[in-house]
Amino acid sequence: MHYLRGQIEHKVTVKRKKGYIREYVIVSISLLILLMLNLTLGSVILPLKEIFSSLFGHSTQTFVNEILWDYRIPKAITALLAGVALSVCGLQMQTLFKNPLADPFILGISSGAGLGVALFVMGFSAFGISFSGSVFMNMGIAASAWLGAFAVTLLILLVSSRLRESTSLLIFGIMLGSVTSALITLLQYFSSSSALKIFVVWTMGSFSGLTTNQIWIMSALILPGLIMSVYNIKELNILLMGEAYAKSLGVNLESTRRRILIATTLLAGSVTAFCGPIGFIGIAVPHIARMFFKNADHKVLIPATALLGAAIMVLTDTVAQLPGQSGIIPINTVSALIGVPIILLIILKSRFI
Amino acid sequence: MEPVLELEKLCLGYNKVIYQNIFATAGEGEVVAVVGPNGIGKSTLLKSIGGMLKYHSGSIRVLSKPLGSYSTRGLAEKISFVPSQSPRARNFSLFDMIATSCYNRTNWLGTINDSDKGFIYKTLRRVGLEDFAERDSSNLSDGEFQRATIARALVQDSKIILLDEPTAFLDIENKLIITKLLKEIAHEESKCVIFSTHDLQLAIKHCDRIWIMGRESFNCGEPSSLIEQGAFDSMFKDSLLKFDPVLFTFV
Repeated sequence: MHYLRGQIEHKVTVKRKKGYIREYVIVSISLLILLMLNLTLGSVILPLKEIFSSLFGHSTQTFVNEILWDYRIPKAITALLAGVALSVCGLQMQTLFKNPLADPFILGISSGAGLGVALFVMGFSAFGISFSGSVFMNMGIAASAWLGAFAVTLLILLVSSRLRESTSLLIFGIMLGSVTSALITLLQYFSSSSALKIFVVWTMGSFSGLTTNQIWIMSALILPGLIMSVYNIKELNILLMGEAYAKSLGVNLESTRRRILIATTLLAGSVTAFCGPIGFIGIAVPHIARMFFKNADHKVLIPATALLGAAIMVLTDTVAQLPGQSGIIPINTVSALIGVPIILLIILKSRFI
Repeated sequence: MEPVLELEKLCLGYNKVIYQNIFATAGEGEVVAVVGPNGIGKSTLLKSIGGMLKYHSGSIRVLSKPLGSYSTRGLAEKISFVPSQSPRARNFSLFDMIATSCYNRTNWLGTINDSDKGFIYKTLRRVGLEDFAERDSSNLSDGEFQRATIARALVQDSKIILLDEPTAFLDIENKLIITKLLKEIAHEESKCVIFSTHDLQLAIKHCDRIWIMGRESFNCGEPSSLIEQGAFDSMFKDSLLKFDPVLFTFV
């Protein structure tokens, strides 16, 4: 029988499979095109020529400069960052829990952030303080959302060292999410209508209105999250084949889980803090990446989801701008309209992890 | 020769003892079958040896050192474990799947160097999967996938390989292929291969040593001497099941 053949020294002449240059180029070009489209469209349509001349510093039209640099570029950068962060985060959650429907918020991070915001907005309104539209308000929402997300992660981290299986962790996270959602509902019930409106608008998600400083803070939180995610690649690939195998290889499951959780908070928590809880992208993009790149290796998938996430989030934001002068569609409405068909397609084709 | 693995007065279980008084050894170049009725604790025994479960009392010595003295990583360099059913990852090539077991030798990104690359191809040839390297590992047949998990354990490059029911769910031909493969690995690569099984005939024919986890007592020895002692009769309580020393099976 062929497997009985003796040991022949095997020369490493076999060419390993191609890199994914073609796929990466396609995604990167789509991202660039979508970015340009995003900068062009809006309440005022800016011609591409004007955008280029403004970008490279010799535009004469000040109004183009103003719209572009004060409004559209910050918004595009925010969308791009959010797309990268949520998608990379969703990929790690899906691998950790071996669950194709896991998303960045499966452990209750968005509900935690929501509770933070609800406490902040509705708590202040309970004392009769109103400050709509102020900078303090924006930063306060972001800070309280981040604290809420961080508190939830901290709780989960504390519990995770006592749980042996990731499935139990998943159940704990979902339960925690339900409790925080219930608390939010309770707060909503007792809050004023103006505070309620601020909260509801926050839950719809938005990329606009971030100051340069806020974008810097957001990037400063997301970047370490991304670095950690890249550092998780080796263990993520092993987790694809089950925790028993990972353990037998000497992988420290506890610290791996902890690292993935911290990366998740930095990524999803920060996006939620500044842009609100943005759904569906975190579930859908990793699946699109798997379908397009046809490889489960995280060395391929992490950059792939990052690029695809950026592209799809910029697309989402562009679609949200389509009404032009009559306003903006909430981001979450668009992301659901784009994300849900993709998720349904995945289920119908049953292309699970 | 010094045994690779020694179990002394080992009691399995964590809070509650589920099986007690295991005295057993296994040596280099030996293939050992662990047999016993369902639910007696074969998996628990293998997982305890692999350091994946805590055990109640007694001692496990790996290469003459107590199990507890190894770090997680140090133990992974001595013992590899093949679970009874490994999840399959879609769109993950066989090569990539096996490459993950170089975990303790690769850099932070898990890059495979040329010597490991050669080692992986050599191992794939060893288990007869050399033409499958770039195939999607989730599309392999059950028999092929089981050989892939064995290749994974071989690439981990440990002295001891533990396998939890590697021949369950396989047809008779694949059961034979796997059992013979384990025997060759033990004999030719001087490994110590320990696997649990319900295929007594194959175990008696091909294994150097058998550990019987009987309802009443534990027995460890060469198949022929165990048959002479009538040790297999202790496996089941039911007097209707009698071991036939000619057919190597229960009648």
